Amino acid sequence: MKNIRTIEEINEKISKGTINVVTAEEMTEIVKSNGIEVAAKDVDIVTTGTFGAMCSSGLFLNFGHADPPIKMEHVNLNGVEAYHGNAAVDVYLGVTKMHPERNFDYGGGHVIEDLVAGKEIELDATAYGTDCYPRKSVKTTFTLQDVNQAILCNPRNAYQKYNAATNGRDDVIYTYMGKLLPNYSNVSYSGAGELNPLTNDPDYETIGVGTRIFLGGGIGYVTGHGTQHDPTNKFGTIMVQGDLKQMDSKFLRGATYTNYGTSLYVGLGIPIPILNEGLAKKTSISDEEIKTNLLDYGIPRRGRPSLKETDYAELKSGKLKLKEREIPVQPLSSLKIAREVASTLKKWIDDGKFLIASPTQRLSVTEVCRSMKITKEAIFAQNVMIPTVTCNIDEDTETVARRIIEKNVNHVVVVDDGGILKGIVTSFDITKAVAKKEEKLSNVVTRQVVTTSPEEPIDSCVRKLKKHDISALPVVDSEKKILGIVTSEQISRLLGE
Amino acid sequence: MKARLRFDKEKTSEPIIASVILRTKAPINILRAEVYESTGEVLIEVPDDKAESTISAFKQMGVDVHVGHFIEILREKCIDCGHCITVCPVDAISAQSDLTVEIDQNKCVDCGACVDACPTRAIKLSE
Repeated sequence: MKNIRTIEEINEKISKGTINVVTAEEMTEIVKSNGIEVAAKDVDIVTTGTFGAMCSSGLFLNFGHADPPIKMEHVNLNGVEAYHGNAAVDVYLGVTKMHPERNFDYGGGHVIEDLVAGKEIELDATAYGTDCYPRKSVKTTFTLQDVNQAILCNPRNAYQKYNAATNGRDDVIYTYMGKLLPNYSNVSYSGAGELNPLTNDPDYETIGVGTRIFLGGGIGYVTGHGTQHDPTNKFGTIMVQGDLKQMDSKFLRGATYTNYGTSLYVGLGIPIPILNEGLAKKTSISDEEIKTNLLDYGIPRRGRPSLKETDYAELKSGKLKLKEREIPVQPLSSLKIAREVASTLKKWIDDGKFLIASPTQRLSVTEVCRSMKITKEAIFAQNVMIPTVTCNIDEDTETVARRIIEKNVNHVVVVDDGGILKGIVTSFDITKAVAKKEEKLSNVVTRQVVTTSPEEPIDSCVRKLKKHDISALPVVDSEKKILGIVTSEQISRLLGE
Repeated sequence: MKARLRFDKEKTSEPIIASVILRTKAPINILRAEVYESTGEVLIEVPDDKAESTISAFKQMGVDVHVGHFIEILREKCIDCGHCITVCPVDAISAQSDLTVEIDQNKCVDCGACVDACPTRAIKLSE
């Protein structure tokens, strides 16, 4: 593609105050009404923005030396443990590390938000003491201004796009995609769609090592591609860093996901210089063109099948069609603040305060994201389930009692003629019924049965048993046909192996 | 008008709501009722013209009555993501045209489903 302007020319226009900069949402409209050729000629820079929870974020801090000096071994900041595997007074605070007592309500992300907001933070460190670092403990308070360096350093930010999430289970689940109601009753998603940084430069023509960006309300840099960077599947990511002292707590906010963990909302925006018509076309991408998949987060496995392909226009509409039903959809990221990121960056450029940096190296376009190598296979429900002893709802309790003794089991599953699960009775239910001379099975059966599928990991079966305080889970297929049963006896046996 | 009634343990077995209806002739709509270890809690809706007489009738019977807003969005904490909108069972939460999230107090039934869904803990139930 023939270049129509250079980064040097763009920076000259920024300095002179003659630059034409628009946001990615505005660019989509401009190209729609004026065409690519005119847009490429008129627009010098397109600004992007996103404001989402980015778990792979954290902060390097250097406190300076105490007197007598200490080589810190265990470090807590407002009670949240920071990683200390570096030099004496350097630490890394990860945003997902939680306060041991305040759990989901306070974690590393919240400490970072408090620091940026100018609040005082408690430092509590201990050490084993050495000849050169004799001190064994230090307790103090500090603010952002008291530390030497506070460098936000995020190994994976700004996913190009992300899956949308729903839940097909019959109870509420709490995930990193938020609170998902049972039976596909709500959908959540993340990302700003056509405003997303990497979506507007999907081949990383202008975004690379050294690209200057908006990060948390200050200026930051792309330092390379991020972890789990997956360009061939259009799931690119970037690694970024920036000086926390320049940042603003409006664009860095601690996040809490009930029963999941803590994180940090990061405001991140990248300017895309329109060097050629190809970039004008790419930055004109609309929400309709950004496809993503709706996944069932009720399935506790890595490979979750896609329920349907959707796009950001449908997601942003607030309603999604799934199997003839309209389901409410809302993001977990904030489009409102993403727009503020893009417009703030636009203003910085307009005001001549922000110059475009030419990347020194391009991001990988070929890297592939692999799954974890596992040397010992995990165990699933189908590996431990045993055949079920069944009965029919019309049988009497005494017959079922005899079957329990004969087969030596504690659970009998009630099925219809097609083998479809209708209920469950335990040996306790039957003992009680016999003692009370209750003959009708239908009066003692439990009809709301908690079940599992053959592919469910055994760890999540255990979670279900504990949550519902039960001792067995019938294994069923999608039609509720009974396949077997996982009992707590079977699970205990695994521990002995 | 909506009001939250709190009953003591001693009163949970008495037909208080029925008595108040008979006395005030107010068509009281029960939106939500819950029983805890030591108290019972009921959220009711009463037509505005019967509000005053109903409240005083409940108070006379020794019921703790709370009127007004039950839920609040703490603006300084809210990031307007909208996740709470999808978990509300009565569609009381919505996004305005500028994407600001708002709660319609008339629709809210004080259930608290949105509280633990909020990623910035910006929703507060009144005590």
